[in-house]
Amino acid sequence: MPLLFPLVVSSALFGIGVYVVLARRHAVLVLMGVELMLNAVNLNLVAFDAWWHDTFDSGQVLALFVIAIAAAEIGLGLAIVLVVFRTHRHVDVDNLRELADRDAPDPERVAGASS
Amino acid sequence: MIGGLEIIIGLPLLGALVVLLLSRRDTVAAWVGVAFGSATLAGSVVPWAATIDDGGGYVARSDTAWIRALDVRWALGLDRLSAPLVVLTALLSWCCLVALVRRAPSCGARPGLVALVLVLESASIGTFAALDLIVFFVFFELVLIPMWFVIADWGDEHDPVGRRRAATRFLVTTVTGSALMLVGFLLLHARTGTFDVTELPSRAGQIGAGTQVLVAVLFLLGFGAKVPVWPLHFWLPDAHSKAPTVGSVLLAGVLLKLGTYGLLRFWADVPDGAVRVAPYLGALGVVGIVYGALACLAQTDLKRLIAYSSVGHMGFVLLAISTLTEQGRLAANFANVAHGIITALLFFVVGAVKDRVGTTELAGIGRALYARAPHLGAAFGFAAVASLGLPGLAGFWGEMLSMLAAYSPAAALSRSTYVVFMVVAGLGAVLTTAYFVVAIRRVCQGVPDRDAVGDVGRDEWVAWSPLVASVLALGIFPVIMLWSGSASALAGRR
Amino acid sequence: MTLLVLLSLLIAAILSVAVGHRDDRLPPLLGVVGAMVAWIGSVLIGVQQWGMGATAASTGTGQVATGGLPISVTLRVDQLSASMLVLATSVALLVQVYSVAYLRGDPRYPSYTAFVGVFTAAMALVVMADDLFVLLVGWEVMGVCSYVLISHHWELEPARSGAVKAFVMTRLGDIGLLFGFFVLGKAAGTYRISEIVAAARGGEITGHEATAAALLVLCGVVGKSAQFPLHSWLPDAMPGPTPISALIHAATMVAAGVFLVARLLPVFGLSDVAMNLLAAIACLTMVGSALFALAADDLKRVLAWSTVSQLAYMFAALSLGGYAAGVEHLLSHGAFKALLFLAAGSVIHAVGTQRLDGMGGLRTSMPVTFVTMTIGFAALAGLPPFVGFFSKDAVLGVAADQAANGSAARGWLVLVVGVLVAGLTSAYATRAWLMTFFGPRRGHATDVAPHESSWLMLGPMVVLAGLSVVGGAAVVKPGFLGVDAEGAHLPVVLVSLAVALGGAAVTVVQWQRLRRADPALALGRLRPVLAREARYDDLVGALVVRPTGWAARFTRLNEEDVVETYVGGVDSSGQWAARLVRWTHNGNAQRYVTAVVIGAVAVAVVIGVVGPS
Repeated sequence: MPLLFPLVVSSALFGIGVYVVLARRHAVLVLMGVELMLNAVNLNLVAFDAWWHDTFDSGQVLALFVIAIAAAEIGLGLAIVLVVFRTHRHVDVDNLRELADRDAPDPERVAGASS
Repeated sequence: MIGGLEIIIGLPLLGALVVLLLSRRDTVAAWVGVAFGSATLAGSVVPWAATIDDGGGYVARSDTAWIRALDVRWALGLDRLSAPLVVLTALLSWCCLVALVRRAPSCGARPGLVALVLVLESASIGTFAALDLIVFFVFFELVLIPMWFVIADWGDEHDPVGRRRAATRFLVTTVTGSALMLVGFLLLHARTGTFDVTELPSRAGQIGAGTQVLVAVLFLLGFGAKVPVWPLHFWLPDAHSKAPTVGSVLLAGVLLKLGTYGLLRFWADVPDGAVRVAPYLGALGVVGIVYGALACLAQTDLKRLIAYSSVGHMGFVLLAISTLTEQGRLAANFANVAHGIITALLFFVVGAVKDRVGTTELAGIGRALYARAPHLGAAFGFAAVASLGLPGLAGFWGEMLSMLAAYSPAAALSRSTYVVFMVVAGLGAVLTTAYFVVAIRRVCQGVPDRDAVGDVGRDEWVAWSPLVASVLALGIFPVIMLWSGSASALAGRR
Repeated sequence: MTLLVLLSLLIAAILSVAVGHRDDRLPPLLGVVGAMVAWIGSVLIGVQQWGMGATAASTGTGQVATGGLPISVTLRVDQLSASMLVLATSVALLVQVYSVAYLRGDPRYPSYTAFVGVFTAAMALVVMADDLFVLLVGWEVMGVCSYVLISHHWELEPARSGAVKAFVMTRLGDIGLLFGFFVLGKAAGTYRISEIVAAARGGEITGHEATAAALLVLCGVVGKSAQFPLHSWLPDAMPGPTPISALIHAATMVAAGVFLVARLLPVFGLSDVAMNLLAAIACLTMVGSALFALAADDLKRVLAWSTVSQLAYMFAALSLGGYAAGVEHLLSHGAFKALLFLAAGSVIHAVGTQRLDGMGGLRTSMPVTFVTMTIGFAALAGLPPFVGFFSKDAVLGVAADQAANGSAARGWLVLVVGVLVAGLTSAYATRAWLMTFFGPRRGHATDVAPHESSWLMLGPMVVLAGLSVVGGAAVVKPGFLGVDAEGAHLPVVLVSLAVALGGAAVTVVQWQRLRRADPALALGRLRPVLAREARYDDLVGALVVRPTGWAARFTRLNEEDVVETYVGGVDSSGQWAARLVRWTHNGNAQRYVTAVVIGAVAVAVVIGVVGPS
């Protein structure tokens, strides 16, 4: 099998994953997008490993690592999503803006900035 | 290994710690500060005396490996260039500490201020004594931190926002400068393979012409921000006018000297580059002289006036440095010390005026200080006359020698350019006279329009008298710093 | 001995400031004693030097390194310095004695007498210094002392502004002097005055160097001796106490300029340009200031302008190489001008004003002052047998010599102008004399009856009057100053005497014609112009003072508005950049990731285009 087929598939997977992560507002869908991207990488790793005839099969080993990490990540991610849902009653990524850098009510700093 | 210089650098630091531990007991803390300051002053005279006997090399040297991986050594030592500046630092710090004994800073927290003055003293002495570029840099930066606190926390009590801004402006400008300076140091190391100050001048041949010019320009910018060279002086009037009296004294008397000392010391490492850049430095120096004098002439705030006069006086030092001759080095060194003493005295006097009338604005001070506080008026008159360069007082010799050096600059420099510089500097000296006599006329003379104010107290006389005595001594016996051999000793570095 | 002179004055000054406030009698006493010791010391030096064949004596071998030629801290006394020293300390002593009465009860007496002492010591240093920079120290210390003493009454506006003007103007000249010293030192290879003079005599200094040095030194001399174009500070220095005016005008300060030219005359002699310029300045100043003196309506101002005019006489003599004539006139002028000022002080003390229109008819109420001042005016006018006659004759004699052979043009110029000014001098002297002592008492101050001053003031005046009468013989003593006395020039003497008498006669005639009113009224429309001193101050104000003020204000505006704007701009541009970065951090995690992806793609594209070389 030519190398091109798995590469095209993985690119498509990765692109879809990126699109999902960037565009979808539901946190669980975003996590799914991340999974798609990770699996696109896995496909690439396995394909190149086969194509390269690597004696250590490092591509396959690395893919196993990625699967393990992805499992841990999705566990953690879903836990966060659950916590977010409990506290906010929604999991809409667009409306989760707690990390924004907003002006703190610090009078001296405001005075310094205006002068 | 603990050498003499470690002791006079360490003593003030130790003093600062003790003072902080005593911070509950205000007056005791101040007295402890004076004790440590006195010990440091006494200690600083020893290496200075040693440089006189010595053949012109470095005294009180210590040299131990410090950070091997970076090729940094803990190297200290003094020569005839740096020893007088160390004594100057110790003397001015002593005066500041004595001045703090009876008069608490307006915003309280005296032990903190005493401790900061001691840290400043320690770091400044360390800068002058460092014989390793990185050690120099560390101390150079260390000086800034206490000064930032002094200005920002103990400064003008009427203007908390302004004093913080002035302090930050001072800090940012000089830190930017020292970053450029550090780049210069690293370039030197890259080309010569050493940070050793004593070794670098002899390795100038290993540095290419382009790099030399680059390093000279980096030093000009880096140290120039500190001096300050016109037009990098913008932070100075603000910092001075917002700083407390001791802050102004140390800023003008010690911190500005770090810049000129650095130029004097490190331009020797890149002689070919220095020759290319020197005329520009000379031009900036004389522009500073005239510009500073003109700014003083229309100034209505006494502290700002003295700040601008510092720009002018440092212009003379820069002109002397830019001649690249032994005469210029001698003139710069003398003018450095003289300016430190005289300007410190001026700031003390103006600080005393501010303590009494609460402002340094000419309109707020009122007229006829001669009548309202005769000794205070006389002290201001004396300091002003010394500052305008009256022969027989300290200020004259430095300025005269600067112009004399400009009359015959190094052979590689254009003589006609420097003669023009000399003439412009001379006109600047006339303007200096003009603004000081105008200031005396405005403040000291006239019909009294306010109540009398308290005259100079005994504690103030104690703090000021060493300065007055030094002004007279250096003026009448300039041979203290201009003895035969003091010039050749500096030459021995080449 | 030289150190005794300096130290006695300085120690008395220090003591006076240190302990003077404890007892009112101490400062006057200290001042007089200090000046007395200095006077004795300088007379001993003078006796030593005036003896025939005496050689110059040097003391001190200290050296100050400059990185180039060293400065030698050496004092050297020859006939010229000994004469100047005796003149300076004598006048200082008389002034100290006079001040005891004149300034009795002045709360500022301790500092006054101290500065007079330092002033005299500085002048002594100037005349004895054998090094240009040591001379400069004395020269400038004198400047600052005069500044302080002129502003003695600092609550009065004219005293303040006069002092500022005097100091700044002389300082302007002094910068030129400093540069002149640089040039001289480099040209001669030494800063020792005696060696420079020897080098100039030996032709080791080239003409160009001599011209540059002489012209620059001339700047300082013109400033110190109040010659055109830096002449206008001296009359404005008159609000100072009158004894100070006597000291400044007779023996110190302005005399220092003449002394310096005399000292460096061999250098000046190498340069025709400098000598011509000196002669031109002298002639212009001579005529102008004599005219101003003719119209001035303040007694001390008349005397001040007369000093300027007489100094110009000395410079005219020196510009013709007439070393002895110039110095002789300096010495004789010192005697009679000190007398005139002290007598004027006595008059002012009595009537309470300096203005001529507040005086008149004082000869009966102040007989001693009248007689001594008459002698002073006669000497000023150059009438025989007073001292001014002989020394002025010597100056004109040199001019006649030079006109006949040597530099004819310069000689004729000085001769013609000198004779003309002799007439003007006697005219203004007669006018001031008439208006002070004759005619009716003018002004409003008639409620206080004028009275003769105390003998502490009259004593010094009588001594100086005596010197003005008998000094003529001493001044023209042959061999004095190592130069044979110039021969008498009978035609010149007669002509100048006739012109002087004519000037006096015209004044008297006008005085009678105008019914004992100011003879200057006869000048008609010229009088207001001269009384305002040809509006020179306005000219200087428009050309120098005001532009400097503009420049200063411009600089301050530049600092406070332009520079502050740029520095503030750096401040706020930093703040704006920070705000921009903050704006991107809106908390939307997806936008962050978008940025990361765009960045990664961009990096990939760049690497793809550039290639992984």
